[in-house]
Amino acid sequence: MFYRLSGVYHTNYISDSRIYKVPADRNLALALLVLGVAAPFIAPSLYVNSYMLPWLIWTSAALGLNLVTGWAGQLHLGYAAVMAVGAYSAIHAARFGVPWEFALIIGGLSASVIGSLFAFAALRAKGLYLALTTLAMQFIMDWVLTHSPAISGGSHASLQAPTLKLLGQEITSDTGLYYVALAWCLLVTIFMLNLKRTGLGRALVAVREKDYAAAILGVHSFYYKIVAFAMSSFIGGVSGALLVATFFFLAAPEQFSVAVSIQALAMVIVGGLGSIIGSYFGVALILLVPGLVNGVVVTASEQLGMQINVETLAHIPNAVYGALIVIILLIEPLGLGKLYGNIRDYLMVWPFDQLRK
Amino acid sequence: MKLLSRAALIHAIMFGMAMSIPATVMAKPFRIGVCYDLSKAYTFATPQVAQAAKDLAELVNRKGGIGGEQVEVIVRDHGNEPQRGVECYEQLSREGVFVFDTLSTPVSLAVLPRAMEDGRVLMQSLVGRGDAVDGTVFDWVYPIGPTYWGQAANDIAYIKQLHDGDLSNVKVGFVYFDYPFGQEPIEILKTLSKKEGFELLLYPVPLPGNDQSGVWSKVRRDKPDQIVVWMLGGAHVVASKEMKRNGIPMDKYISVNWLNEVDIANIGAKNAIGIKRGTNVVGGQDIPLYKEIMAELYDKGNGNGPIEKTQDVFYNTGLAMYSIMFEAARKAVELQGLPLTPDSYRAGLESLRDFDANGLMAPITVTAQDHGGGGATRIEMWDGAAWVPQTDWISEYSDQVWAVVKESSSKFGK
Repeated sequence: MFYRLSGVYHTNYISDSRIYKVPADRNLALALLVLGVAAPFIAPSLYVNSYMLPWLIWTSAALGLNLVTGWAGQLHLGYAAVMAVGAYSAIHAARFGVPWEFALIIGGLSASVIGSLFAFAALRAKGLYLALTTLAMQFIMDWVLTHSPAISGGSHASLQAPTLKLLGQEITSDTGLYYVALAWCLLVTIFMLNLKRTGLGRALVAVREKDYAAAILGVHSFYYKIVAFAMSSFIGGVSGALLVATFFFLAAPEQFSVAVSIQALAMVIVGGLGSIIGSYFGVALILLVPGLVNGVVVTASEQLGMQINVETLAHIPNAVYGALIVIILLIEPLGLGKLYGNIRDYLMVWPFDQLRK
Repeated sequence: MKLLSRAALIHAIMFGMAMSIPATVMAKPFRIGVCYDLSKAYTFATPQVAQAAKDLAELVNRKGGIGGEQVEVIVRDHGNEPQRGVECYEQLSREGVFVFDTLSTPVSLAVLPRAMEDGRVLMQSLVGRGDAVDGTVFDWVYPIGPTYWGQAANDIAYIKQLHDGDLSNVKVGFVYFDYPFGQEPIEILKTLSKKEGFELLLYPVPLPGNDQSGVWSKVRRDKPDQIVVWMLGGAHVVASKEMKRNGIPMDKYISVNWLNEVDIANIGAKNAIGIKRGTNVVGGQDIPLYKEIMAELYDKGNGNGPIEKTQDVFYNTGLAMYSIMFEAARKAVELQGLPLTPDSYRAGLESLRDFDANGLMAPITVTAQDHGGGGATRIEMWDGAAWVPQTDWISEYSDQVWAVVKESSSKFGK
C-alpha cells in the first residue's frame, strides 16, 4: 500500500536502472531531505550540533567503509587511521595557508594514497589476514601520531584546526557547520547510490562474491580492490578532516584510535553490509544511542528518585547498549538496513497479502 | 507501523528531555557539570573523585549553601569518548551550567575550543593540556593543581635535596608510558638535565604496561640513582614485581600523583615500603575536612557511596578539586554578589590566595596570568601503614617550567 508497485512499468533500460524504482522510496528520500535541510530551524540546537552533525559526518565515513567492506568485501580494521591521515594532512595544509576547499581535497588524496599503499601490500592476503594487515596500519598510525610532535601538534598531541572557511565564507555558526556536514553526507550518499548501477559497482560486487570467478569474467580483481581502497580512503580522509573542522575543532590521537576503527566497523556491520540506509541506522545506533540511553537512564533515575551510585548509573546504559546490539543482530543478522527492508517488503503489499490467508 | 511507533518513542524521549530543562533552571542552584569517564579508561580515579564531589556538595548544602544558594554537581558518564563529552558539555551548557570538569584528557581537549568560544569555565585539574595554566592565552581554562611539567620539576628538586644539592654525578631514570601522558615531562627533564648536569635515562613502557621485563632489566644494568615514574594503576604493580626481580630497591621509585591505596594494596603494604609519590593533596584520613564529612554524612549513613572509596588518595584529590570550585563560588558571591555568572565566577577563581582547604592540599594562589595556582607538590613516602611527607610544598624551577609553558601556549591559536 505504502510502497505501491502497481502502475510502475519499466519499458526501457533507463527506467529499469533508476535509483528509485518505486515512487514511495523517492518520496520518502525527498521528505527526509527536506527534514534534513529544515533541521536547524525545527530541531533544538543541541540536537543539531551534538547529535545530527556528528551523525552525518560519521555516516559519510561509514559509507566509505561500507564501500570497501560491504561492496568490495575487504574487511578493514584500520579505517580510523585513514581518517586520521585525512584529518591531519588537511589541517596541516589549512594551517599552512591552503584554502579549506583544497585542504579537504589534499586530506582526501593523502588518505587515499596511504590507504591504497597499505592495500597494495595487503592485497596479497585475503580475509582475516587482510584484516590483520589493516589493523597493523592502525597501530602504525597510532604510533606515528603519539611519537611525532611535528605531526600531532606538540607535546600535548593536540592540533588546532583553523576556522573552516569555504567559498570565502567563514563558517562558525552551528547551522553553517551543520550544512557543511549535510552537504558532504549527501554527496557521498548520492555517489554511493549511483555506484550501485555503474560497471565499477558491479565489478566490486563481483570481486566481493568470488574474486577468481570475477577474474574469469574478465574483472581484474586486484585492480578493483585497489580502486575500492583508494575511493573509500578518500571518503574517509575527507570525512575525518570534516569531523575535526566542524565538530572537534582540534585533532587528538584518541579521536582516531583503534577503538574508533572497531566502532566504525561496528557501524557498518550493525547497519548492514552494502546497505546505504543501513549505514545511517548503524551510525545512529553505535554513535548516538549510548548518549541517549545514558540521558534516559539518568532522567529516569532522577524522576523515580532512585539513589543509584554514579558508577552503577554509568554502567547501566553500557549494558543496555550492548544488549541492543545483540538483540538487533539476533533479530536480523544482516543488520538494521535489512530490518528496514523487511518492513518495506511487508508494507509493499499490505494489506492485500492478508486476503490470501 | 513499527517504525513509526519507534520514531514516536524517540521523539517523546527527546521532548521529555527538552521539557525537563526549564524546571531545573527555575531552582537556580550553583551547578557544576561533571562529565566524567565512569566506565572506561579513567575508572581507576573517577568514582572516588565523583563521590568526593557529591559528598562535598552535600556538606556545603547542609551548612547553608553558597550565599544562601544550594549547590549541585551533575555527574554524567561520557565513556572517555570525545564525542559524548562534547554532547554532555553542550547539553548541560544549554541548561545554564557554566563550570565544567571532565577529568579526561581526550574529552578535555575536545571541549576546550567550545568552552573558550562560549565563555564557559573549564576546570581541568591534572588532565588536559598543561600549557593551559597560561591564563593570558587560555582565559576560560583553569588547570588548578600541578602540571606534569611542574610536578616533574619538583621531583628533580627533591632528588637534588637527596643528593645534597649537587646533581652532577647523578643518574635519573625516567620510566614512562609511551604516549603523550608519559612523554609530556621529557622536555622539562631534558632542560633540567642540562641545567643541573644530571644524566637523564629514558625508559619508554609500551601500553598498557603489562609487560615491563625489558625495561627494568635495562634499569638494573644502567643503575640510575633515582627513578621518576609516569605510569598509572596496574602498571605500578607490574613495575614493583619487576623491580623486586631485578633487585632494585623500592625507595628509588618516585611516582607521578596517580598512585593510590589500591595500588599499594596490590603491591602489598609491606612490599611497598619506601615507594614515593609526588602529590598536591595530603594523603590519608587525618584531615579536618575529611573528618567533617565522616561526622556529617557517613556516620549518619548519608554518604554518597561506599566508605572504602573514601579511604583513597583520589578521594582527597576530589575533595581538593571541588573545595577549590566551591571556594571560588563563595569568593565570587563576596565580590560581585548573586547571581553567579561565568565572569563573576572567574573573578572568584582569580581571587583565591593561599587557599589550602584547611590543610587538605598545597596552598594555591590563582591569578589572571597563572591559572594553575602555583603548581606546588610534595613528595610522600609509604612507610608500610601511612604516607610520610618528605618535603614541604614546593614549586621549584618555575622559570624553566614557565618557559616550557609559554613556548607551548604561544603556538595556540596560530
